[in-house]
Amino acid sequence: MEKPIITFARWGNYTVAFKTLFEELGLKVIPPEKTTSQTIAEGAKIAPEMFCFPLKVTLGNYLPALRKGANTIFMVQNVGGSCRQRYYGVIQEKMLKENGWKINFVDFRATPKDIYSKIKEISGASFWQIIRAARFFFKKLRLVEKIEKMAQYLRPREVEKGETDRVLQWCFSEVERMNREKDFPKLKKEVFKRLAEIKVDKDKDLPRVALIGEIYTVCDPTINFEVEKKLGNEEIEIHREMDITYQIKKLIFPWKDWIIQRKINPYLKSTVGGHGRDAIYEMLHYIKKDFDGIIHLLPFGCMPEITVRPILEKIHQESGIPFLSLSLDEQVAEVGIDTRLEAFIDVVENYHNKKHEDILRH
Amino acid sequence: MTIGIPRALIYWKRPYFWESFFENLGFEVLLSPKTNKEIVEMGVKVADPETCFSNKVYFGHLIWLDGLQPAHHPPASAGPKCDLIFVPRLKAVDEHSFISHPRSARVTEGKLEYCPKFFGLPDLSKILVKTPILTETFDERKEKFEKTLARLGKKLKKRIKEVEEATKKAFSKEKEIKEKEEQDFLEKIKSQKPKIVLISHPYNLYDEYVNLRIKEKLEKLGAESIFIDEVPISINQPPQHKSASNIKFHWEFGKEIMEKIETILNHDIAGAIQISSFACGCDAVLKEFVEREFKQNKIPFLYLMIDEQTGEAGLQTRLEAFIDTLK
Repeated sequence: MEKPIITFARWGNYTVAFKTLFEELGLKVIPPEKTTSQTIAEGAKIAPEMFCFPLKVTLGNYLPALRKGANTIFMVQNVGGSCRQRYYGVIQEKMLKENGWKINFVDFRATPKDIYSKIKEISGASFWQIIRAARFFFKKLRLVEKIEKMAQYLRPREVEKGETDRVLQWCFSEVERMNREKDFPKLKKEVFKRLAEIKVDKDKDLPRVALIGEIYTVCDPTINFEVEKKLGNEEIEIHREMDITYQIKKLIFPWKDWIIQRKINPYLKSTVGGHGRDAIYEMLHYIKKDFDGIIHLLPFGCMPEITVRPILEKIHQESGIPFLSLSLDEQVAEVGIDTRLEAFIDVVENYHNKKHEDILRH
Repeated sequence: MTIGIPRALIYWKRPYFWESFFENLGFEVLLSPKTNKEIVEMGVKVADPETCFSNKVYFGHLIWLDGLQPAHHPPASAGPKCDLIFVPRLKAVDEHSFISHPRSARVTEGKLEYCPKFFGLPDLSKILVKTPILTETFDERKEKFEKTLARLGKKLKKRIKEVEEATKKAFSKEKEIKEKEEQDFLEKIKSQKPKIVLISHPYNLYDEYVNLRIKEKLEKLGAESIFIDEVPISINQPPQHKSASNIKFHWEFGKEIMEKIETILNHDIAGAIQISSFACGCDAVLKEFVEREFKQNKIPFLYLMIDEQTGEAGLQTRLEAFIDTLK
């Protein structure tokens, strides 16, 4: 067999970490193309019409990489439990092969054992090499997630507009370029130094909005039209709990799911697959923390999120917290999303100010 | 006491069983009427706009049972029609139990799941209607079907003996109907007319309003229609057509439909039609493999999507064109 050249499903800013993982294993990697309206259109063209959005997006991301010579695709199965994500691998393989691509499709289950054996099979790396690669992968992943979290805090408070995003861009490109684990502590220090240098107004009282919903759309700024950035620039602090570490923790430790189920019992007494339960849990959690708004993101037709949406709406009616549900697919235009976000921002600010006045009055 | 059962969606997974079960326990059972325009409209109004058409229809039936009539009706007809509405939470099934005929029951370890949209049905129903919801979780990975029924009976303050008796009677009635269906199938398969297989979920096949009387239409066009649901899975007759796809579904209906397609391919079939409700997530997966199966065997295949806006005239044209391609 010819030498495997790897590409994989793109996932927001975390893509760099996955790239490092495969490179550390001694494999040649062509990273998937950054998501643009063009890649989305290309993916949607060959994907089944009624399938959910992330399948079309990731399919569109593979194609340019395949044209550049990639011949092996990594795709994870069943991260979503009962939902359709389980069949992404089989469907994507079928679609690509029907369109004439000769590829090796590695469809692995999200269990440590399966991941290990599949990686071993493809790369032939030794046990220690895999452990080292995984360690480096987690280091990078944590750093990217930390940068994202800090940006959520810094962006609405920055004195000079746009500075956070400039620094952020630099950070991500440096993290991507750095390829020796030895250099990692130095880079980490440098990144945090740069972020700390951003001038911020710490005393600002800002409304806080939480992002909940389907993990892929929540985490990938290129899919959700940079909701985090847009709201940040309008001086709203964004919070979100979903990221890859959250997902990995949930896979390893089952009790997170038990806690979630106990908390949401009055609303939903069962799993509905995917991150349906998490959405309800997070919404209740953020209401308790006195947030000023909730944005629910989902791909069009996402089965778990659609099932829980009436429940989220009920919680919204009971608590009065501003709530916006955005379902995304290849036909959604950015302008439409912008208009809805603008209206939502007004509602959030009113809600925040009114709460403030009530406190002052008492 | 009256127990209401919506005649949609999960009802069709086990038709006759539930009403027989509750009647044997000494309750009155109120089935919602066959789907009609009003029910669909009510369902579309209350359901999430992105949920599948079948779910919308189900919610319409729920609202009907709840007694909330649309505004243009006289208020006299309003008011609760039943004391409880039965909405089971179907989660997982034993692989062999969907084939209720004992001869063909195969004992395997695999447990198959229902559509994830069924998991949340009781909770969503509670939001929609005022009538109390009677529910129980049917998860055969954790507990046998009969045991869950016993728990359900306990909720209704019935003794275990009574529940067992009612279960037995309901099972035997279901078996009777299945056997008759099998007889019908054997007769149909001998027919000289061109035979067309209709592939879909039972709630699309048996609900005539939802599928726009497709069976009747096909018969008028001179074809014999066979529901995939009626096809028995026989172990005596090993399939001659080896399935091309290596897909393993974790969905109960996915596996069932793929196996039944393999059986039906042993017979002389003129064409196949798959019906799927708009925005059905599971069918998006299923369709790819069903289509491949028929295309490989060079059998004409038609894919129909149904929703609240599907028109009869459009369907008629498509069916006529499809029948023409068979000749």
